[in-house]
Amino acid sequence: MKTQIILAGVGGQGILFASKIFSELGLKLGLNVMGSETHGMSQRGDSVIAHLKLGNFHSPIIRTGAADILYSFEEKEAYRTLGFLRSGGVCFVNLEDAGRFDNKILNHLREKKILFRAFDANGEASKIGFVRAANIVLIGYSVGSGLVPFKRDDMISVLEMVSRKEDLEMNMKAFEVGVRHGSTERI
Amino acid sequence: MIQEEETRVLLGNVAIARGIVESGCHVVTSYPGTPSSEIIPAVVEYKKELGLKTYIEWSSNEKVAFDNALAASLTGKRAAVAMKQVGLNVASDSLMSSAYTGVIGGLVIISCDDPGPHSSQTEQDSRFYAMFAKIPVYDPSTPQEAKDMVKEAFELSEEFQIPVLLRPTIRVSHAKQSIELLPPLELDRLANFEKDPERWAATPCYRLILHTKLNKILQGIQERFEKDTRWNYEVGSTGGASLGIITCSASFVALMDIFEELDVKDVGNILKIGTPYPLPQKKIRDFIERHEKVLVIEEPDTVIETQIIDKSKVLGRLTEHVPLQGELTPEVLYDILAKVLGELGLAQLKPISDPKLDKLIGDLDLPVRRPTLCAGCPERAAFFAIRKTFPKAIYPSDIGCYTLGLNLKAVDTVIDMGAGITLASGFYQAFHQDDKDIPIIATMGDSTFYHSGTASLLNAVYNNARFILVILDNEITAMTGMQPTPGLGITADGSQGRKIPLEELVKGCGIKWIRTIDPYEVNNLIKLLKEARKYTQKSDGGISVIIARHPCLIQYPDVCQEHLVEVDINEDCNGCMYCIDFFECPALRPNEKEDGVEIDRMLCIDCGVCVDVCPRGAILPTERRKDTHIR
Repeated sequence: MKTQIILAGVGGQGILFASKIFSELGLKLGLNVMGSETHGMSQRGDSVIAHLKLGNFHSPIIRTGAADILYSFEEKEAYRTLGFLRSGGVCFVNLEDAGRFDNKILNHLREKKILFRAFDANGEASKIGFVRAANIVLIGYSVGSGLVPFKRDDMISVLEMVSRKEDLEMNMKAFEVGVRHGSTERI
Repeated sequence: MIQEEETRVLLGNVAIARGIVESGCHVVTSYPGTPSSEIIPAVVEYKKELGLKTYIEWSSNEKVAFDNALAASLTGKRAAVAMKQVGLNVASDSLMSSAYTGVIGGLVIISCDDPGPHSSQTEQDSRFYAMFAKIPVYDPSTPQEAKDMVKEAFELSEEFQIPVLLRPTIRVSHAKQSIELLPPLELDRLANFEKDPERWAATPCYRLILHTKLNKILQGIQERFEKDTRWNYEVGSTGGASLGIITCSASFVALMDIFEELDVKDVGNILKIGTPYPLPQKKIRDFIERHEKVLVIEEPDTVIETQIIDKSKVLGRLTEHVPLQGELTPEVLYDILAKVLGELGLAQLKPISDPKLDKLIGDLDLPVRRPTLCAGCPERAAFFAIRKTFPKAIYPSDIGCYTLGLNLKAVDTVIDMGAGITLASGFYQAFHQDDKDIPIIATMGDSTFYHSGTASLLNAVYNNARFILVILDNEITAMTGMQPTPGLGITADGSQGRKIPLEELVKGCGIKWIRTIDPYEVNNLIKLLKEARKYTQKSDGGISVIIARHPCLIQYPDVCQEHLVEVDINEDCNGCMYCIDFFECPALRPNEKEDGVEIDRMLCIDCGVCVDVCPRGAILPTERRKDTHIR
């Protein structure tokens, strides 16, 4: 398996944690893992982006037009990072109101056979009383949708491994909520 | 021993830390700076996890860090010193000299470069320092290679008795990779200093002898690097091809991915160089001979390209085939390759960008995010007060979170660590010479003051300069990821060191007027600034120093929980946007109709400072929290 994942958002949305989830998943699947993170001045309220490559690659950086999967935890960052996706890729955007996303861009994505899924991960995370886990809700959603090559059971055991003890229960709940919505909206 | 071998995904800097630990290194020193800051905390973690005796120090600056590591090496121990690339400027005096004297125990210098730049004032190339000082340099492409190179660097350093540089770029330091952990080497070495004044205290005539020896050592290392195939090797056919590419660091691996994807192997070979100085010249010459044209791709500058003797076949920065500035991202590399392959008639690469998508996104006119001080940051309160009190002053500032006082237009200069004060004294002297008295308000953070503030300040006092210095003391080195300072007195591994209070240090520099205040008390700070200005104008006055002390909210969230002042904006708000233009708090934003301001409750931390900011008094503490209002 060779999979290239972009995780995008702004500081404080748990992008580095999400990146850790996929790193550990890669290790669990016996794959080589590479990636790249943002630190330093750009962390102060700026866009945060993490690259993750599972399988045999040389470089930790994903080039424009090469990513298989894009997770954006914020709407504007989704626009900024869509260019990373290859034709036929898939993106998951944390978005309160899916109808708000720019129509011309959606049409263009359709032409490139890029699957676009918007989901209100913030809303679902608030509902379970753990808004911090919106990142995990969105990842759960992607797994439930069947559009990504990650298995639910693998993700669960990774979550058990990387979650802080006090967060584990809520992280699991967040993941399952995401999975449920992802699989019911499955096409 | 200690633990089983296992594979973990490590950040490049953590891999470097692991390499340091696996080498049995005894002493590790550093001053924090992006992209190097994660090395020391990772060594601390390994020390605790593995029960090691490693001495680890956050030093007060990079030169201090260098000298402390050097001394350990002179006692026969292994030592590493880590810093960002501009930190090596500060440590360069020690570097140049220690190249001549050499070392005993392995001394590895890690200087992390920042092409881009992402978080630095220059895009300088640390490898030039290796050439300048005449020491060998390793240039890793990946975290794994960085870890392995650290280990070889220690061995090379001991074999040739010379300091060795490791130069990771940000794309190595902040890359992640699955890496196999090996057990640490156990090196029982007791400190032993053998006196040798002709070496360790060499006067100029002995320095000439040391220089001669150094040149001989370099020859030996160059021969070693000529034979090396671990870091310096070819990819592709061993025969000739139309195009050869000589490359290194993060560019090498990015090019490898592009080559595999495009399947252009038949048109070109790659020579990967991991030891750019001393350059394996024969290897380079041989590679160039077998190719019609050779493209040199390295970053951020031209260390390899400059050293190539016969450049007649060489394309690179000097022929403008590679951009002279900026990061060599995969996109830039792709464009370089497309241009060169096209020019040589070898291949036509399809563009990878999607201009239609770019245009559609451009049309959205997305707001440009700029780095900004956090909501509730005490430094914002200080900058607001400074600008309000002296709207036409000159504001020399410095390197740290508070550089972002730029957004409040209360920062005019950011040159290098310490220059907040030295530029203030320089400005004073230049205007004073013309009998002009203008307010000069210098700002500097606590960590920067400990780094290089004292020499600047005592010079200013000594030479009768007059200005106001506001030391923004948030009791931590915040920008680089919360490293402790001498003011806090906590050392790198969390143990208690000795506190050095700023007040005492400032007094020791000869300052007679020192006041300490919490910048959240904006109105009192404004009063104090006016007094401070008067002192600079009195006949027997001088430099006045205000220590604006309030803990960083990210590091000490509990402190801000103690004094919550929840605020609301009432109907008196007329949408003048003064608070947004002059206070620039991310938690204040124009409302949808843009006829007033609203509070982003997700971002607001209830510091209550904006109550003193609104000229119409339209921002007020809410009824619910009035009881805890601190003013």
